[in-house]
Formats: sequence, C-alpha cells, structure tokens
Amino acid sequence: MMRQSSPLLHVLLWVLLSLATLFPIYWLFVISVKPAVDLFTTPSLILDTFYWKNYVNVVGNATLRGYMYNSLIISTSNAALVTMLAFLSCYALSRYDLAGKENIFFWTITNRMAPAAVFLLPFFLLFTQVFVIGEWRLYDSKVGMVLLYCTFNLPFAIWTLRPTMDGIPRELDEAATVDGATTWQVIHEVVLPLARPGLAVTFILTWVFAWNEFLLAATLTSFNARTITTGLSEYVTTTGTEWGTMASIAVITLIPALIIFSMVQRHIVAGLTFGAVKE
Amino acid sequence: MRSNTVGWLMLAPTIAILGIFGILPFIYVLYVAFHQWNPFGANPDMVYNGANNFRRLVFDGEFLFSIGVTIKFAFFAVLSEIALGYLLAQLFMREFPGRGLFRTIHTLPLIVAPIVVGSVWRLMTTPSIGIIPYFLKSWFGYDLNIGRDAGAAFTLTVLMDIWHWTPLVTLTLLAALLSLPKEPFEQAQIDGANRWQIFWHITLPMIRPAILATVFIRLMDALRTVDEVWMLTSGGPGAATRYVGLHIWKIVFPKTDYGYGAAISVIVLYLTLVMCWLLYVALVAPRQKKQEAE
Amino acid sequence: MIRKSGIGLAAIALGLMAGTMSAKADFWSDAGAKYQGVVLHGVTESTPPSNYVKDVLAPEFEKRTGIKVEIETTSWDQMYDKAIKDMEAKTGIYDMVYIEQDIIYAYLARNFLVDISKSLKDDPSLKSPDFDEANFTTFANYFKNAEGNLFGIPMEAFIKVYLYRTDLFGDAKIQEAFKAATGKDLKPATTHEEYTQIAEFFTQYGKDNGLELWGTTAQAHTGHPASWYEFFESIAPTFGVYNWGIDANNNYAASVANGGQMNSDKSKTALKYWLHLRDIAPPESAASTWTEVGTTFAAGRVAQGLVYGENAAWIASDAEKSKVVGNVGVALPPTDPAVLEEVKSGTGYLGYYDGGAFGLPITSKNKEAALLFLQFIGQDSVQADWAVAAPRITNTATYDDPKVIDMDKKLNGYYSMLKNEGKLFAGAPPFPFHAQVREATAPIFYRILLGEIGPDEGLDQMAEAAEAELTNLGYRK
Repeated sequence: MMRQSSPLLHVLLWVLLSLATLFPIYWLFVISVKPAVDLFTTPSLILDTFYWKNYVNVVGNATLRGYMYNSLIISTSNAALVTMLAFLSCYALSRYDLAGKENIFFWTITNRMAPAAVFLLPFFLLFTQVFVIGEWRLYDSKVGMVLLYCTFNLPFAIWTLRPTMDGIPRELDEAATVDGATTWQVIHEVVLPLARPGLAVTFILTWVFAWNEFLLAATLTSFNARTITTGLSEYVTTTGTEWGTMASIAVITLIPALIIFSMVQRHIVAGLTFGAVKE
Repeated sequence: MRSNTVGWLMLAPTIAILGIFGILPFIYVLYVAFHQWNPFGANPDMVYNGANNFRRLVFDGEFLFSIGVTIKFAFFAVLSEIALGYLLAQLFMREFPGRGLFRTIHTLPLIVAPIVVGSVWRLMTTPSIGIIPYFLKSWFGYDLNIGRDAGAAFTLTVLMDIWHWTPLVTLTLLAALLSLPKEPFEQAQIDGANRWQIFWHITLPMIRPAILATVFIRLMDALRTVDEVWMLTSGGPGAATRYVGLHIWKIVFPKTDYGYGAAISVIVLYLTLVMCWLLYVALVAPRQKKQEAE
Repeated sequence: MIRKSGIGLAAIALGLMAGTMSAKADFWSDAGAKYQGVVLHGVTESTPPSNYVKDVLAPEFEKRTGIKVEIETTSWDQMYDKAIKDMEAKTGIYDMVYIEQDIIYAYLARNFLVDISKSLKDDPSLKSPDFDEANFTTFANYFKNAEGNLFGIPMEAFIKVYLYRTDLFGDAKIQEAFKAATGKDLKPATTHEEYTQIAEFFTQYGKDNGLELWGTTAQAHTGHPASWYEFFESIAPTFGVYNWGIDANNNYAASVANGGQMNSDKSKTALKYWLHLRDIAPPESAASTWTEVGTTFAAGRVAQGLVYGENAAWIASDAEKSKVVGNVGVALPPTDPAVLEEVKSGTGYLGYYDGGAFGLPITSKNKEAALLFLQFIGQDSVQADWAVAAPRITNTATYDDPKVIDMDKKLNGYYSMLKNEGKLFAGAPPFPFHAQVREATAPIFYRILLGEIGPDEGLDQMAEAAEAELTNLGYRK
C-alpha cells in the first residue's frame, strides 16, 4: 500500500518527527550533565561543558541499584504474567462460546478506569491486613506489586490482544483439530506463532506501564520492593528538586529499558497470516 | 464446539485477579463514598451521611470545571495521538533503510517515567530561561509564560501528552496492521481502488477494533493523568490544568477528605464507563450485527 | 576451604570487636542488649538532615547498640500519606515518623504519638545520661503539648530570611546611582517601603544595563501552594496578620465580620505590596516554587529576596550550585515598624520558623528501642557534624561548636541570626488542620495572582471559603 509517495518527502517527514521525539530526551541528557545553577541561565542548544558529578553520585549509590533491580524484576515478571494470562483469556474469549463473554470483556477494561488516589486506601488495607501470613504480608513485597500491576495491565493486554486473536482465522484451528491436534497443540503451534507481533507489543507496553508506575509503588512498598520511579521522587522535595540527579538516574534507567525493547522488538514483524490462509 | 469448561479455565486466573484487586477495593471505595470521613476533622471517624457527598459534588464548581478541562484535554490529546500514531504505524509498515533505528527512537518517550517527563518539560518551559520560551522570544518575539498564560499551559500539557504517548498508539496499531491478511488489499488494487478507498473500505474496518481499544486505553489514561501535569504546572495557572486526576489527588492527599474524594472517584469512574460504553456500542455493535447478518 | 577460613577470620574479627566494645561498655550497648534482633523502621522526607540520619546516625547507632535502623526517605507528600495511613490503620509499620512542625497539632489531636517525656520518666532504665530535653533550643517547644511534655525529637530547624547581594549593595557605582535615584543610602531594607524602593531600583537598573537582573524574588507559582505559603507565612505577618488571619480563640473566625483577620485591611495591604513585588520580579516567578526561588537567587538573577533557610546555606556556600558564593548577606525580613514592636513584645512574629522532628507512633511495636534511637539523635555530641553536613541546629550547645562557628562565618551570620533572632520567627499556627484550609482557599489565591479577581475581593472570598471549610471539618461551630 501507499507505494507512490516521493522518497524525499518521506525522509523529510522521518527526520522532522524523529527530531521532535528526540529533543526532550536530548534535553534530559543536557539537564543531567549540568550543575543546577546553569539551568537558570540563558539556555544554549549546544553542550560545551560536561558536569559528570550527578552520574558519579548515582552510579555509586547501592540503594538506587537495589531499586533498579526491583523495578526490573517486578516489570518483567508482571509483563510476562500479564501477557500469558491475557493470551489465554483472549483465546477463550475469541474461540469459545462463553455466556456473557462480551460483558466480561468490557468489565475487564473498567479496572483501568479508576482514579488511583482514593483506591490506595483499600489496597493498603488489603496488603497490610488481609493478605498476611504470620510475619509475612503482601505489603512491600515484589509479589504484591506484580499482582497489583495486573489491575491496570491485564485489561490493557486483553484489549490489545483481542483484535489480534479475532483476526487469526478460525479455519486454521479447525483444520488442526481435524488433523487430531489437542487444544494445547492448537494454541502452541498454530495460534501462538501468528499472534507473535501482538504478544510482543503487549509485552513491551505492559512492561513500560509497570516500569513507570509511581503512585501504587510509592504507597505500597517501603524497604524491600521499592522501585526506581519511587527513588526518582526522593529528589523532589519541599526544599528543592535536584534536577540533575533526577535526570541522570532517568538517563541511566533508559539503558535496561532499551535492552528489553531491542530484545522484544524483533518479534514485531508481519505475521504469517497471509501465507497460512492461502494454503 | 469444544467444551466450554476449558474456556472458563483459561479465563479463571484473570477473573480471580481482577476480582480480588479490582472489585474488592471498589466496594470499599463505594462504602466510603457514603460517609463523611476526614481523619483530621473535628470528628476523625467515618460517619454515614447518605448521599450528601454526591449532592455536594453536583454543585461543586471546582469539580465541574475540572471535568470540563479534563474532557477538553483528553479530546485534543487522544485525537492527535491516534492520527499521528496511525500515520507513524503506516510508515513503519514499509521497508526502508534504518527502520529499526527509527522504531527505537520512536519508542524512547515511552520508557521515560511520567514524573521525569513532567520535570524535563518544566525545565524546557521555565518562563524566560527555559529553552522553548527563550527561542520563541528571540525568534518570533512570542512571550511564553506558563505561569500566567492559561492557554499556553493547557497547550503544553496536551503537547507533552502527545509526545509521551503517541508511541503507544503507534505500537498497538502497528501490531494490528501487521496481523492483517494481504489478500483483500491485493484484490482491491487489482480492482483499481485508490489509496483513500482502500483506507476507508478495507484498512479502517479491519483495524477498527484495534483503534477502539487504543482510544479506550488512551482516553482513560488521559482522564487519570496526575504525575506529569503535577510536575509541569501543578494544575495551574489557576485551575487551567487541574485535570480530574489531579483534582482528586488534591482532595485525597493534602485535604485528606476521604469521603468526598471517594464519591468523586466513583462518579468519575461512572462517567468514564458511560463514555467508553457509548463508544463501544456505537463503533463495535453495528459491526457485529453486520457480521451476524452475513 | 578458602571460604571457610574466610568465615573463620571474620568470626575472629567480630569476636575481637565485641571484646573491645564490651571493654568500653556504656549506656548504649547495655540498653541495646535487650533489643538484639530488633529492626526499627522510620519514614522521613528525603532532605539533607534526614539523609544524614539515614547514612550516618543510623549505622552509628547500630554499631553502638546492635539495633538495626532502616530509614525510608521519600517525597514530602508520600511521607505524610504513608505515615498517616500506617497510624490510622494501626499497622505498626513505622517506629519513627517525621513530623513537620505544621502537622504536629493534627497528630497530637489524634493521639498518634507517644509522649516521650512521660515514657522516659516511667521507665528510667531507658533514659540515656547523655540525653536531656533542656539541651534543645526553644524550637522544641513546638513539639510539646499543653503540659510541656515532648512528643518529637527536633531534627531540623530553619528560618526564612532576607538575603541580599553584598557585592551589588557594596558597589560604589550602584550606591551612587541609588542615591541619585532615591536620595537615600543603599543598605538592606528594614521596612516595606525601603524594600520596594530597592527592588524597583534594581529591576530598572537591570533593564537599563541590559542585565539579567531583577530587584526581588517572588515565590508566586500560580498553581502550587508555595505562593500561598509565601504570603501567609512570610508576608502577612510582617504587616501584623498572624496565624493566616484565623483566630483559634474566636471560633476559628477568618473573616473580619466574624472577628478574623484574613481579609482585614492589613491583609489586603500586604497582598498588594507583594503583588507589586511579584510584578517586578524575574519572569519565572509566576511559575516559581521554593526550588526555583532558591535557584533564581543562586543564579545571580536577583539583588534580594526572601529565601528559606535550608536553601540560604547552600546559596551562600556551595560553589557547585551557586554563582553568588561569598556575596550573600543575611538580614531580618523587612517589617512594618509597628509590627516590630509587637514582635519584640512577644505578641507577633516576623517570619517563618520551620523544621521538623522525629516522633514515635503509638502504633509502633518497638517503642523502647525506638526511644533509644530518638535519644541517640537528640544528644549534643552528634549535633555539630550534623549541622555541618546539613544546615540545621536544634540544640543550644551546637552554636558554640568551633565547626559551627566556622560555618557561620561562611554563611555570613545565618546561624547567629538563628540563635539570636530565632525567637522573632514562628512556626505554623497551632491548628489541628492545615493542608485542609490551605487547599480550600488556594484556588482563589491563584485567581488573585492571575488577576482574574481583585486582591480585596479575593481575600474576602478566601476568608469565606476558609470558614466554610472549617465548618465542614467541624471545628467552626
């Protein structure tokens, strides 16, 4: 499709959009290599001096490394769990004739609509007084955060995967079933490969939502499961915001995120739907 | 048809998790919404007060104003994101040198935490010394003051949201486009359809569920935005960017007015639900009927 | 094998350490012996004084007593929210909570905190010989109840001062120009008129000479409560409007009609005075909170301004953050002469004395061990290094420490002012509500700042809104 437009226009469009996208990221970097006082002088687009002290402070900080580790564990586990559960749910919603399934489908998304602030209180009570086994409680545990993040990530995943799942022709399942495949084999060998781009996108985006979440983590963790976003907020205080430190942490947190992205991105390619149907 | 039990089993974990962490808290919030409860009031206990909280919010000018600007914000932000995101997704469908690099560049904003996004935009727009006001002033003579100009502050929050969340739209629509079969497009080209006809009659109907899902997600997230806007404008100037998420945040955190905050949250949840339901019915239901008729 | 011997060596080393420790047996190790294995949890705002507690005092305490202390530092609103949720739900997560001076009355009203004086009297075995409530400066009085019992160990204390640029004020050419323009000598202002005159002069001077220089700071954010605080804590008192203009002894009246001061003529004059300053302050002021005000001053963009004490110190001394090191003078905020009389006689105050303490929640499960830690950070002996690391002073003896005297010189007498004139400043009013009334009135205040509503009419509306909120909260009958 759309093969006719001129390449020059195309390139120009790319460059413009990319510059607009990159500029705030570039500025984040600029902030991270400037002493605070230079942020309040006449700005310049070009960086001439580098002030690395912000990075030195951050890299040498074991607490922040701990936060980063927690973030990685929580986001990756949550994204994996959510993608898997959403995949199964969407398969069920798409392939089975379940009573009231459209209502269930719509209900899942309502879990993402709640304005978080007031829901923190019941979450806090659930985490500190309901889910308690002896000394252990869900509060301040990584497991707790992984489960909690399902409330906003599962609905999202189900809603992004459902169109993909509906788009995979049922004839394929049926053909495989006729050939004697079990339900598990159908899912694993027919549907899963075709849903790959959708699953990759779902994984990436749920990972991002979990990685960036702030309010729930800030309220429901304190020592063991604190994430890097809550660590960032420690630099926003009543006496002042440490822009430089905050920016350098943010720049460093881009690295693990980029690694995860590049690992998953290669799965976002055209599926095999076309060829499969033709056969 | 295979046994539905297997289907229910596949759905069970999802329903269990969302039931525990979704429905239980909601019931609690609903319960609080019918009480007067401020832990720093003269009476710090929860006192049942019927529908008083709901009665109060109908006449609460600040709340109604907040709902108004939030809808305006969500409308402009989400509409632009969908249009731009679709355009980018289409561009990514082609083969061209450096596609991987561009795709990485265009996902970068997503991995910056909202609180950082707000901070960066705030420093970029500090009146007179932020990079944006500085160059607007020296190149165009336009004086951008986010602390005084309500329109400018509103526009900046919208632009920030577009910058941050368009990549999400691009990715979800890209996934949808990638899973489309090629046959109908080839057939249409053989039949001599032009680009616009192909888009309108083939692409759009086929990716409509994906667009709808994306609109929903973006809409409800825009309605809940807090961190970024808090960092950029703190809701100012005046109440110009005091979006409903931030408004509730201010009622629940500094004011500790838990009862009223719960009531507002329930109403906002209800309004979001109605809005999404209407969209759902308008966009998905007719299509399903058509399919059934076929 | 190698590993095993490593552990063996470590064990020997530990044994040796324990030996030397017991040789120097003191109160701390004896008292701590009973609470081995206890881990104390505290929550506080991530500020330099708190970070010092977390990074230096907590490990030191563990070394002396064997009691581990984990301090969670977080943002200001998170810190409050977490402490309140914990105490409200009686979860017992925290053994120490940060209490900012302005929330102590709310916590006391809710009986959230343990009475430290009484607990130490009831169980003398917990009382350290190195701890004495009398060692604290008068700031500790803010953490006492009506009977004079202490509920928090002070750990931060600052005053919001008037900073001016000594290099500009001492410049012969500028002095001459100022004399020519006003007929007066250029020196730090003591009255509002003088302050305004100096501010106008420097803003004009900056414009005439093409400099990035203005005459005053203004913490005048149009959406953030920082502006509300600047007016009610720093400006209004210097015009004789105290306690936000709310009269606690008169049914919490705010409006003049009911006996309050929030919309009095003095209050209106104060607001107009400040709005004028805002108009001649740098353009970023309309989006400035305390952070930006500090940075604006540090960047050398203003000649004078009101700056929080915690920022005053680094502006004057930290060359990595500030361009005006060595050029910062400290003075009392300019005041109405009549008010100065009231202040000196003890009925008024001329600025904000702000700070915080560590308190012990009644829901804590390790009260005894926590009491030990609180006394540990309240000792005279730990104060001087703490004051050097983070500019705060809570104990009287700290002022005389050579390290602190040395630092006072660098800060151009900030500590001396805290010591000698600290009594002229006051903390937040003793109200059991705080953010509630602030948030109820702030939206109107922002509208005044934006010019959507006049200052007179705006203050009338604010007084009305404050009373409505107080009625709603049940304080105003």
